[in-house]
Amino acid sequence: MAVKLGYKNVYRDPYGYPEWQARGLPVASAPAGLAQASEEAKAPGPLYGWAMIWTLLGIFAGGMALNLTPCVYPLIPITVSYFGGQVSKGGEGRGRLVVHGLCYMLGLALTNSALGVAASLTGGLMGAMLQNPIVLVVVAAVLVLFATSLFGLWDMRLPSGLTQAAAKSYTGYFGSLFMGLTLGVVAAPCIGPFVLGLLTWVASMGSPWLGFIIFFTLSLGLGLPLFFLAIFSGQLEKLPRSGGWMIWVRKLMGWVLVGMAAHFIRPILPGHGGTILLAVVALAAGVHLGWIDKSQANFRVFPLLKGIAGVAGLVLATFLVASWAMRGEGVAWQPYDEKILQEAKTLEKPVIIDFYATWCTPCRELEEVTFHNAAVVKEAGSDFVMVKVDVTKGGNPLYERLLQQYGVKGVPTIVFLDASGKERPDLRLVDYLPPDKFLQHMAGIKDVPIKN
Amino acid sequence: MQNNKTTFAAIIAVLLTIGSLWLTNQAVTPKQATWDDVLVEGKNGGYQIITTDELAKRYQQDAGSLLLVDTRQEWEYRTGHLKGAGNFSMEPTAWARWRKAAALENFLGPDKDRALVFY
Repeated sequence: MAVKLGYKNVYRDPYGYPEWQARGLPVASAPAGLAQASEEAKAPGPLYGWAMIWTLLGIFAGGMALNLTPCVYPLIPITVSYFGGQVSKGGEGRGRLVVHGLCYMLGLALTNSALGVAASLTGGLMGAMLQNPIVLVVVAAVLVLFATSLFGLWDMRLPSGLTQAAAKSYTGYFGSLFMGLTLGVVAAPCIGPFVLGLLTWVASMGSPWLGFIIFFTLSLGLGLPLFFLAIFSGQLEKLPRSGGWMIWVRKLMGWVLVGMAAHFIRPILPGHGGTILLAVVALAAGVHLGWIDKSQANFRVFPLLKGIAGVAGLVLATFLVASWAMRGEGVAWQPYDEKILQEAKTLEKPVIIDFYATWCTPCRELEEVTFHNAAVVKEAGSDFVMVKVDVTKGGNPLYERLLQQYGVKGVPTIVFLDASGKERPDLRLVDYLPPDKFLQHMAGIKDVPIKN
Repeated sequence: MQNNKTTFAAIIAVLLTIGSLWLTNQAVTPKQATWDDVLVEGKNGGYQIITTDELAKRYQQDAGSLLLVDTRQEWEYRTGHLKGAGNFSMEPTAWARWRKAAALENFLGPDKDRALVFY
């Protein structure tokens, strides 16, 4: 390749580094620049005045950026269909719509931040509450419920008891607020990643109220685009009806919701159940949207759109099943045992201990991507002792002691022990890491014997 | 009629997906290249092959005249590399060649006559 660029004296040394090193020729190694990996931010002290305002503005912007992550997708179709269908029935001006949007956003932010603070204050392993199986099931159930509404099985409306509880003239606004409060649960996974980070901060300030304000600001940022979406869809509905295709679009959104629900409960399904469930949903969605559904429209591209949706569903299902079936070997883990650690010490092999739980999404990702990467598997097999500690169910005294001993605050936590059995805290991981970065960590722990 | 066409397209698409996945996920066991293979490859590519001995000799005479390029992945480079070598990760794919051409030129510098050693 360098030849094509015009370089003339190009050589290749096919034996490369191993041979060079074997002959004792000069070598160098760069101790892994892992500054970016030990990202544990220092907890800033209490804030006052302008510093507080700037921080909150930053958090607000961060909340808006959260809209780029997939966790908000389920909120989009619900927002569109609720505001499209419900609010416009009053048929009043734009001002009314804005108030509705505000109520909606407020409700969202309230539930969201209450959940965030609750998660932060419980601390420790409970910081991962938002990935707790029960929360995941509730989120999935809410999603499926809204999906059935989009399929046309029931009309999205407030429970009559609640409607009567509110004063007549405010019913509509109350409805929007209630909608937001309910959907806050769906948005909760969005702030999940922040919980662990803000945990230490909120704890250091010792004030749940300040914590609430922070999460509230974050949620407001998260809700702002949804607010505009709500207003927009409220107005969209005033356009003349364009026929049956709207019903089809609602069904499409419904399937998106079902897919998200399947995605949420994926971590708590045993083994590969989650992948299979997703594939089944994709298959069903494709067949329904492409073949079974008989909606017609008065423009010509519609059958094509239906065809594309159907084919896309089938392809997705195939992709999921096939890539799962064709996946290569994974890392061979051993359950924790003192003997294994002793053995590793005598063999002078570094040890990697993975604390995980089946319901934790980053753990699954680590297992499915990083620990199935060919290079990682090869390294792990030849030079490492790989140990897994499953903390899904509490109550195992040995594991409780290990959590204490290594100061594990949440899952995933991956602890690296060097060849002499001492931990390298700078290498410790508390989140998903892609294979190439993980290999750097593995290389980092192997560094030590080379330097000696 | 419309449905039949869609079904047909769907079957084709599904087969294509399976096919491409199979191609990309196949376990590749690279065959051990012999010295002759390497020489032929070099001839086709227009570059020369240097042995460890020869490289060591030139390296000890005048290391500054050589530009050593480590084309392995960054983590491999970190664990150990020829002293003085720079790291320019290349994957053996056409995509990487195309994508990294400009960066490589930048990396190698403007002196087109300098001796470059890739490994």
